[in-house]
Amino acid sequence: MIRLEQIKKSYMTGSEQLDVLKGIDLTIHKGDFSAIMGPSGSGKSTLMNIIGCLDKPTSGAYYLENQDIAQYKEMDLAKVRNESIGFVFQQFQLLPRLTAKKNVELPMIYAGVKKKEREERAFEALRKVELEDRVDHLPSELSGGQKQRVAIARSLVNQPQLILADEPTGALDTKTSDAIMDIFSMLNQEGTTIILVTHEPEIAAYASKTILVRDGLIVDEEVRGAVR
Amino acid sequence: MSFMENIKMALSSLMAHKMRSILTMLGIIIGVAAVIIVVAIGQGGEAMLKSQIAGPGNTVEVFYQPSEEEMQSNPNIWNEAAFNQEDLRLLETIPEVSNIVTSSSQSSTVRYRDQTLDTSVSGINQAYVDVNGLHVQDGRGLSSADFIGGRRVAIVSQSMEEELLDGESALGKIVRIGAQPVEIIGVLEPPSSMFDFGAVQMFIPFNTWKTIYGSNDITQITLQIDDTENIESAGEQATTLLNNAHNTEESYQVFNIEEMAEGIGKVTQIMTLIIGSVAGISLFVGGIGVMNIMLVSVTERTREIGIRMALGATRHQVLIQFLIESITLTLVGGILGILIGWGIASIVSAIAGWPSLISWQVVVGGLLFSMVIGIIFGLLPANKASKLDPIESLRYE
Repeated sequence: MIRLEQIKKSYMTGSEQLDVLKGIDLTIHKGDFSAIMGPSGSGKSTLMNIIGCLDKPTSGAYYLENQDIAQYKEMDLAKVRNESIGFVFQQFQLLPRLTAKKNVELPMIYAGVKKKEREERAFEALRKVELEDRVDHLPSELSGGQKQRVAIARSLVNQPQLILADEPTGALDTKTSDAIMDIFSMLNQEGTTIILVTHEPEIAAYASKTILVRDGLIVDEEVRGAVR
Repeated sequence: MSFMENIKMALSSLMAHKMRSILTMLGIIIGVAAVIIVVAIGQGGEAMLKSQIAGPGNTVEVFYQPSEEEMQSNPNIWNEAAFNQEDLRLLETIPEVSNIVTSSSQSSTVRYRDQTLDTSVSGINQAYVDVNGLHVQDGRGLSSADFIGGRRVAIVSQSMEEELLDGESALGKIVRIGAQPVEIIGVLEPPSSMFDFGAVQMFIPFNTWKTIYGSNDITQITLQIDDTENIESAGEQATTLLNNAHNTEESYQVFNIEEMAEGIGKVTQIMTLIIGSVAGISLFVGGIGVMNIMLVSVTERTREIGIRMALGATRHQVLIQFLIESITLTLVGGILGILIGWGIASIVSAIAGWPSLISWQVVVGGLLFSMVIGIIFGLLPANKASKLDPIESLRYE
């Protein structure tokens, strides 16, 4: 489903060229639950941004469902982000002035879904993360774990092929983290492809495959037999 | 994303900072309100003045302005009537003149039973009624039979009815001018304009006036001209004829209504221009305020923009969102400005007894203009928002 071929990304800092990604080859199959691990500065965030179509590689090919995303224009990338990818961030990234339901509706607004259908689907997604009694709460009225559940509901409401979670438990305590990870496991069992970025081995353990990134290269890929 | 979605979003983000939004709108509100007030009062005033001064169309008043010498040789000149029957015949020879309105006025004491009242009695001709139209509220107006036969009938103003008859109906009452009896057959409508204070007045046919006062003289002559184009030439012919006949240089003159109306139009135009430019400056400064606050808003909401982009908003959609937000800001300001301007114009016109005229063109113009300001001054902030990098924006604290 996802195939990265010799993905390179470099930035110019002053006159010096900084190579963040030095040729990443990676294949992710449909239904995979992968964890990208690596120390900070390893390039895993950049890799994540490229997979999430928030950034474009300097060179290389990125196939998403056999489409070469690397050649896409910004407008098409926005469409890919909207329809094919769901984001879950460490800092939740909810809009503070919108209720949980309105936050979940946001991707559908950009997808042009009608109001009535939007409301139904938003409620359905919130029910899936067991927040049906918090639909009209503002993010400030929710706990960290609840906020992250809203974010997960938002990420899956457009039925994307892929959910990208960037340190989704980074701001949560252990117990809440486990609850959140259970939701990801559940979603994965239902067939959603999930890519997780983390530096915590306990969290990565939820995934069926761990990809270790160091100095802009994939140094190790480890496949576990089954989801824990 | 639909247009309505955008408007709703814009309104909610404006509501989130009510104080700031209102302060930002202030420049627009003041500017639009000023425009509305000026135009409403200016147009109302102009319409009123024109209708009052110009009266019925195509008329020109002939008047007598004696020279210094004439006044010295005859100190009583002001008390004498300016025109005689010979003048009337001369004026009738001017081809462009279609009607000659005459009135002869004298101040007299009118008596009803033991009540007396000093009033101005005017002997008018048929043309006076045709051109000026005596609007009778009760009873009937003067008929051509009244004019030709010199019947002893009179029309009185409402204030005269009140003062002479103590609230009784004047219709059918016989009053006396000196010793001469006349019957009141009609009462005029109360005056509607601010220049007419409801004078105590009495109108009788000229032939009746002639009999009562024993005089043929005419106090006031107004010429009605067949075509607007000919007013000037007919006026010139009239003054030449009269000055020749009376052997005077420039004592007989015409008072051109068109010129005066034009003059008033010019005054209001200049006033409109001055206050209009003040309003324009206010709107411009207000627009800069909008731009400023929108730039602040874009910076504050960098993260929101990042989130929206990550969720699939295109740069174009972000641009539209912020543009609509600034348009909504100025449009709401414009609507408030129109309401406030309308309110103030109504209050001013109620106090000054001056009509205010709010045309839909002005309202639509005000709305469009405030929208245009929103677009012009919103473009830069909206463009800045759409150029943000989603990755950087998501990290923004």
